[in-house]
Amino acid sequence: MSSLEIRDVRKSYGAAHILKGINIGINSGDFLVLVGPSGCGKSTLLNMIAGLDTITSGELLIDGKVMNDVHPSQRDIAMVFQSYALYPNMSVEKNISFGLEMRKMPKAEIDKRVADVSQMLQIQPLLKRKPSQLSGGQRQRVAMGRALVREPKIFLFDEPLSNLDAKLRVDMRTEIKKLHQRLGSTIVYVTHDQIEAMTLATKIAIMKAGVLQQLGSPDEVYNAPANMFVASFMGSPSMNLIPSKLVMQDGKLTASVKLKSGQELFLPLAENAAYNAWQGKEVILGLRPEAITDPGSAEATSKLLHQADVLIDVVEPTGADIYARMELNGQDTVGRMRANCGAIAKQNAPVTFNMQQAVLFDPKTEERIS
Amino acid sequence: MSTTTVRSGGDWLRQFLPRLVLAPSFAITLVFVYGFIIYTGYISVSKSKMLPNLDFVGLDNYRKLWKTLNWQVALDNLAIFGILYIVICGALGLFLAILLDQKIRGEGFLRPIYLYPMALSFVVTGTAWKWFLNPGLGLEKTMHDWGWASFKFDWLINPDMAIYTVVIAGVWQSSGFVMAMFLAGLRGVDEEQLKAAQLDGASTFQTYWRIIIPQLRAVFLSAFVVLAHMAIKAYDLVVALTGGGPGNATEVPATFMYSYTFTRNQMGVGAASAMIMLMTIAAIIVPYLYAETREARHE
Amino acid sequence: MNSTIVGTKQGVSPWRVVLYVTLIVFAIFYLLPLFVMLVTSFKTLDEIRLGNILAFPSEWTTEPWVKAWGNACVGLTCEGIKGYFWNSIKMVVPAVLLSTLMGALNGYVLTKWRFPGHKWVFGLMLFGCFIPFQIVLIPMSQVLGFFGLAGTTAGLIFVHVVYGLGFTTLFFRNYYEAFPTELVKAAMIDGASFLGIFWRILLPSSGPIIVVTIIWQFTNVWNDFLFGASFAAGEGAPMTVALNNLVNSSTGVKEYNVDMAAAMFAALPTLLVYIVAGRYFVRGLMAGSVKG
Repeated sequence: MSSLEIRDVRKSYGAAHILKGINIGINSGDFLVLVGPSGCGKSTLLNMIAGLDTITSGELLIDGKVMNDVHPSQRDIAMVFQSYALYPNMSVEKNISFGLEMRKMPKAEIDKRVADVSQMLQIQPLLKRKPSQLSGGQRQRVAMGRALVREPKIFLFDEPLSNLDAKLRVDMRTEIKKLHQRLGSTIVYVTHDQIEAMTLATKIAIMKAGVLQQLGSPDEVYNAPANMFVASFMGSPSMNLIPSKLVMQDGKLTASVKLKSGQELFLPLAENAAYNAWQGKEVILGLRPEAITDPGSAEATSKLLHQADVLIDVVEPTGADIYARMELNGQDTVGRMRANCGAIAKQNAPVTFNMQQAVLFDPKTEERIS
Repeated sequence: MSTTTVRSGGDWLRQFLPRLVLAPSFAITLVFVYGFIIYTGYISVSKSKMLPNLDFVGLDNYRKLWKTLNWQVALDNLAIFGILYIVICGALGLFLAILLDQKIRGEGFLRPIYLYPMALSFVVTGTAWKWFLNPGLGLEKTMHDWGWASFKFDWLINPDMAIYTVVIAGVWQSSGFVMAMFLAGLRGVDEEQLKAAQLDGASTFQTYWRIIIPQLRAVFLSAFVVLAHMAIKAYDLVVALTGGGPGNATEVPATFMYSYTFTRNQMGVGAASAMIMLMTIAAIIVPYLYAETREARHE
Repeated sequence: MNSTIVGTKQGVSPWRVVLYVTLIVFAIFYLLPLFVMLVTSFKTLDEIRLGNILAFPSEWTTEPWVKAWGNACVGLTCEGIKGYFWNSIKMVVPAVLLSTLMGALNGYVLTKWRFPGHKWVFGLMLFGCFIPFQIVLIPMSQVLGFFGLAGTTAGLIFVHVVYGLGFTTLFFRNYYEAFPTELVKAAMIDGASFLGIFWRILLPSSGPIIVVTIIWQFTNVWNDFLFGASFAAGEGAPMTVALNNLVNSSTGVKEYNVDMAAAMFAALPTLLVYIVAGRYFVRGLMAGSVKG
């Protein structure tokens, strides 16, 4: 059953169109992440789901009921805010119980729920404190407690981790994921961080300039991005997008790539009927950094490996891996290699292209060719 | 709205309650500020004398106003008072703020002393200075007692000088406030710039003159607007200190308006003078408010 | 600027001495009138005539204070300024509380419940703070007369609330502007009502701005002279008007010591507030002139 359905939802302020017809449906238990650069409309969409922002046109349904004109408090949702939005004048306990109190829940029931939630989040020792006496991570937990205690149909998270330092952010991310797995709750989560999106989501909605670019599982959006924007937005370092020409070589369709040395590589492509029409034409070749690697690290099962000696311009060590930069068709390209593969700046190194992972884009429409 | 919508009866109220709460205040403002301005504007082109009379007389009252000697005196006095009050308050305020900014021990003690007159009523200020400058028993007599026999300070009863006593009392009351504004501005200047200036070899004087003061433009503007506004409205101070006298020597537009309206039965002329005051203040305040609210608007 | 005019350990630089002397001279300039007022109020009339205004009383007397409070002549009655003092209190307390409460609600609506045109509403209210009040004297005296409020404390309360609203709204608006809107959203989702959010979430965090506003309004209303003189005649006049009448009455012997004692009575409430809560007083002044 669909838990949340967004049907052709639009938002305009006069002539400014913030959301241009969004369609998203998720099932009960889904973890939907809305991701995109700032200004893409993801927060507006979340606020519309919460009822904190009006919907210009289209319909918003929760459990099959149109919610467009329903007050936020009656939508059976709970929200975790970016700033946590803890009431500064109330103790942690009061913060958590406030929503229940407003709903006139009996005192005994409130106490029980607060006790359960604070145990689950391990914040019992903090219950009597004021928000100002808490650390960032503790505030984050309290904010989640306030949402959890309500046991709503849908949880909304508005960039909840963006105010935490890097280490805490990773810990909390894991914790949110565990919580979701344990409770099986339905969650809509906004972030601009694609790693958060990948790690948490069961479904990712990538947005740009008020338009939904792609809706799919993390695997789908990573491996089969709908267009060049999604390809470059998801993944870090982002996918290499190399202008290239499709040519027949030895009876097979290949993407031609010129090295700095002037040598031309013909990288074999997977069988795909859609590619045939592009023979002899310019396309954009999309290759993830992990598909350009040292021969030792190359995926052995791949049937489309192509090895060549390439001049490495710069080597950027990151610890476990190095990022080796090289020029392909004049385009700065990143490959990801083992730290000890022996690649050295300004020298040639053997590089393996895993063309099984390659995707092609139409340079005009920027859509993936498939 | 195809499917069921949960629309409760309280929705209408919920939507309009905020506006309903604001409405009385806004209505009061519309009636008692703008309505009254329009009404006074109408009185100023009417035949009103002792009582309002709605017969239209065009700009007669304004013509009469401009021919009234008292009004000329009032305008001259406002010019003298306004310019000196603004300039001296500004200069003194800035001067004291810079002095206090030199890591002064006892700043917490001195600052409140400079500022306390602002808490007093202009009537109290006028009363105090009137006594202090009393030609018979005040400062003059004290100087004589101390052996300075030739000392003469009779400005309060000297028609040519009386307006300057208003300036003195006004400066005494408001300069501390200007000091506080400038001090806040000085404290707002980035410390690192001062360090950089020091490394560049600027003296203290150069640092202030070339780097800090140019950054206080906003404070200068605010101070000017506040002081100009207070100068034009100044009524109580003049009444308490000189009563507009000797004769009409310290008449200002505010006292002129009051006496022509309520004691000389020239309500039309009084209204006309009030309109002139309003327009003068509006010419200063409106652009300022516009700029201030626009600045705040960039979210 | 540590190195420039800071004294060295060996000795104090001459600049530093000049600096402190200048500051102290100005402190004396600001204190002198208050000092003169205070010592005069404790002197006998004889000593005032013979002595020196800067000297301490040779014989301290509280007689002028007693007389100013209880039986000095203001206008035609000789019952001191006590009645007028209470008039001012009766006027100030409700006027301050009402205008503060309304300002708080206005500020709340104008920041957290914005509607199309909210900027215009605020702009129009704000300009109302700055008009020369001479412009409203004629119609206001007629309106007060029409409703039978002329010369009454109720009338003055009304006038002060009306013309104080702009500033109280400004204070609360600027304060709530910085108050996180997410808190309001969270409370909305939690099911709190419009007034519930104001009462349970915003108001408990508004302590400082309430103090600032109350002090600002208290000082302004207490110190007002123009409205008092225009709309409250005789027995109903506030303290400032009574003081002016007392000091500028031309009948009888001029009792400077009583005048000064009366002036002190008029000055004491606001001075007291200034001494107790000067920090908030300055904040109010700043907020009234420069943006929060």
